Amino acid sequence: MGSSQVWLNLTLNTLALASLLAMLTIGLTLIFGIMRIMNFAHGALYMLGAYSGIAAAQLLGNFWIGLLAAPLAAAAFGSIFEYTLLRRLYRRDGGSFLLVTFGLSLVLTEAIRLIFGPNTRDVDLPSVLSGVVWFGDEPYPAYRIFLIALGIVVLASLAFVFLRTRLGLLIRAIAQNAEMTHALGIDVQLIRSLTFAVGCAFAGLGGYLAVPLITGYIGMGGAAIIDAFVIVMIGGMGSFFGSAAGSLLVALTQTFGNYYLPDFALVATYLLMICVLLCRPGGLFGEQE
Amino acid sequence: MSLLECRGLTKKWGALVAVSKVDIAVSAGEVVALIGPNGAGKSTVFDLIAGTTQKTSGTVAFRNEHVEGLSAAALTRRGMGRTYQITSLFPSLTVLENVRLAVQSCEPRRAYPLFSRLLLERTTEEALKWLHRVRLREHANTLAGLLSHGDQRLTEIAVALAMNPKLLLLDEPTQGMSVEETRGTVELLKSLLKDTDMAVLLVEHDLEVVFGLAHRIVVLDRGRKIADGLPAAVRADPGVQQAYLGAGHVAH
Amino acid sequence: MKYAFPLFSVLALAPLVLPGFHVTLLTEILIFALFAMSLDVQVGYARMFSFGHAAPYGVGAYVAAFALSSGNLPLPGAVLVAVIAVFILAIPIGWLCTRASGVAFAMLTLAFAQLAHAVIFKWNGLTGGSDGISGLLRNHGPWGFAGLESRQGYYWFTLAIVVGSAFLASKFVRSPMGTAIVAVRENEKRAVAIGYEPRRLRLAAFVISNTWAGLAGALHAGFLLFVSPELLHWTLSGYVIVAVVLGGAGTLIGPMIGATLMVVGGHQLSAVADSWPLFMGLLFIVVVVAAPNGLWGIKSSIANAIAVRKAGRLEVDHVAS
Repeated sequence: MGSSQVWLNLTLNTLALASLLAMLTIGLTLIFGIMRIMNFAHGALYMLGAYSGIAAAQLLGNFWIGLLAAPLAAAAFGSIFEYTLLRRLYRRDGGSFLLVTFGLSLVLTEAIRLIFGPNTRDVDLPSVLSGVVWFGDEPYPAYRIFLIALGIVVLASLAFVFLRTRLGLLIRAIAQNAEMTHALGIDVQLIRSLTFAVGCAFAGLGGYLAVPLITGYIGMGGAAIIDAFVIVMIGGMGSFFGSAAGSLLVALTQTFGNYYLPDFALVATYLLMICVLLCRPGGLFGEQE
Repeated sequence: MSLLECRGLTKKWGALVAVSKVDIAVSAGEVVALIGPNGAGKSTVFDLIAGTTQKTSGTVAFRNEHVEGLSAAALTRRGMGRTYQITSLFPSLTVLENVRLAVQSCEPRRAYPLFSRLLLERTTEEALKWLHRVRLREHANTLAGLLSHGDQRLTEIAVALAMNPKLLLLDEPTQGMSVEETRGTVELLKSLLKDTDMAVLLVEHDLEVVFGLAHRIVVLDRGRKIADGLPAAVRADPGVQQAYLGAGHVAH
Repeated sequence: MKYAFPLFSVLALAPLVLPGFHVTLLTEILIFALFAMSLDVQVGYARMFSFGHAAPYGVGAYVAAFALSSGNLPLPGAVLVAVIAVFILAIPIGWLCTRASGVAFAMLTLAFAQLAHAVIFKWNGLTGGSDGISGLLRNHGPWGFAGLESRQGYYWFTLAIVVGSAFLASKFVRSPMGTAIVAVRENEKRAVAIGYEPRRLRLAAFVISNTWAGLAGALHAGFLLFVSPELLHWTLSGYVIVAVVLGGAGTLIGPMIGATLMVVGGHQLSAVADSWPLFMGLLFIVVVVAAPNGLWGIKSSIANAIAVRKAGRLEVDHVAS
């Protein structure tokens, strides 16, 4: 394999990983932007999406059903949680949210383990995704191309909603000044709940999409939440574009790092975050305090 | 030269002139009250001196040093203490600990002698002395957040006094107190001020308190100084009566 | 604490009557309790939510392990070396982390802990990688602390350190610096106005808290005679936060009770129900939402309510007579 082919391979891998990471973190950052909550349960919801997607796909024998079931299950669960618990905490500080969502992630992970058992789980790809795509005479897994395309579509449509629609305007307004927006007669609570549900849905979707690459396992949520935190901190808490950029940066570090310096890839990711935070405490695209 | 010397203090909020060319001087041992009808700019002047608001022009000199732009901590270190209009204590610490923190902050090594029994004993004793003087000794071990409003105001005063300021800025010390509490506080402040060379600048709209305490009164109206003199003279000043007419009544 | 002495006596005499595996369990409880208490200095008193407290614990354990295996130091010496190492490391890391506050602080501590975990996990040559270091010995050293070799001996050693630490910590939080740390938590602006420097105080809380965690970690290494990267995993950071908040942050004793509950629950309940984490997570959520002051806080408010009722009754009696 020539070096240009290696580079092409690594670049595509980076983009595919970045797509997955973006889907995971955009929900987290949307929720932080509008609610000032760091949702520790986001990783558990990612895992919930993976497991419920797998279950639905296996039940009906169709990969695409899972793509629908995963975000729905995560959104439904997230909404119930938001409605019953988080609303009681709006007057408390950020620490309480971190704690209660951490508690939820413990419960959710354990519940999934009790229901689905400790074994890893996989899903069958449809033939169109399980093949390879040829770049010249270089084969590349079709599924990763699908991930890249889906990532671009999702990010583009979210950017459109965010920048060009009334809903997007309201979300940005609430992130800036919730009280003022409330005073304008906007149902802030409704938009918050909606954002929370959408954020959870993306986590669920990301979890299911990750299954063909990493398989579903107990603990995938824990690994995901740490990555997501790192990305959100690098990009800037609450910044949509920051999360996208952070996902790309972390995917780049991990993919190229794993190839060239396998022992340092993990260390490099955390060093990257620490460096960014020390130079720009609010993250690359966040508000600086 | 006076202890505090403000010249030509001016503050504009956009086109609105909140304070215009106000001169105020306070000498050691003097109690000066800053009064005026609502919106006269007395709180703004107070904030300009305490450094919480940035002035548009003018000078503030404290102990012959220009102190504009210094932080609250730097002013405190130079001997300017203050109380806050909205009570600002450490609610889940005891009253004693609140005052002790103030005493301790005057020590050369504020917080660092970790287990110094000596420091702890000395500062505790000093703090108890101040609590005794504001008559809160029996509440020493009550959590500050559980005190009555009046007692919280007194604790606030004790915290300010415990740092041995040369100048004490009192921001509406009797605000929200009952008539009885107010009287008690005036008597208390009088006795505290009797034999000290600490100067006081007082913002207060209860004229009974003002005339009970002040050696000199500065009257503001619509951002300008309209009178500055002994209580009796200020009371008789036709301009002052004019300014207060309809807004309230000058004390009897 | 009027119960401190009786409690200490009971704990000191326990190995004389209890079977061996209970002594082991008690040792484990004591070490985890010390770990939780150390975090309480940050979380409870300074309100700094560290999500990387496993790092000083794990590093302390590893340094003690090196000192025992390669350094061939006697056990107390190894513990001392570990504490000093963690103390020295905590200063620059704390200086960096305290640049941030709130959630950003939590994330920075998490990042440093993950970094430490990654380094220990990957540095096979030094740390044994994922296998860790096993087969440690509680060395006697020149003065011959042979007593520490037995289960009971090590228990007493741990008990003495934990009780001493708890005593020191209770002094510390009431000391000039301890009160200043609480003052910054309560009303930072005012604390600054009267001349305190929040960042220095936060740094002090961070370093003290981390050093104590390092001590607990060193005790862990001497106890199990085995260390592995699991000790630095973020789930341990999470569990110790759970212990602190469950028991009641800002009380020192609360987190120690929380820790006891977690160790006992982990051992006893998982044998029965296989779902201890589920139960613990639910209990934790209920406590955070409904009883922010933790289990010890519930106990205190009940005690207060009783006291108020008693006082009320006395007053009524007084009026009646």
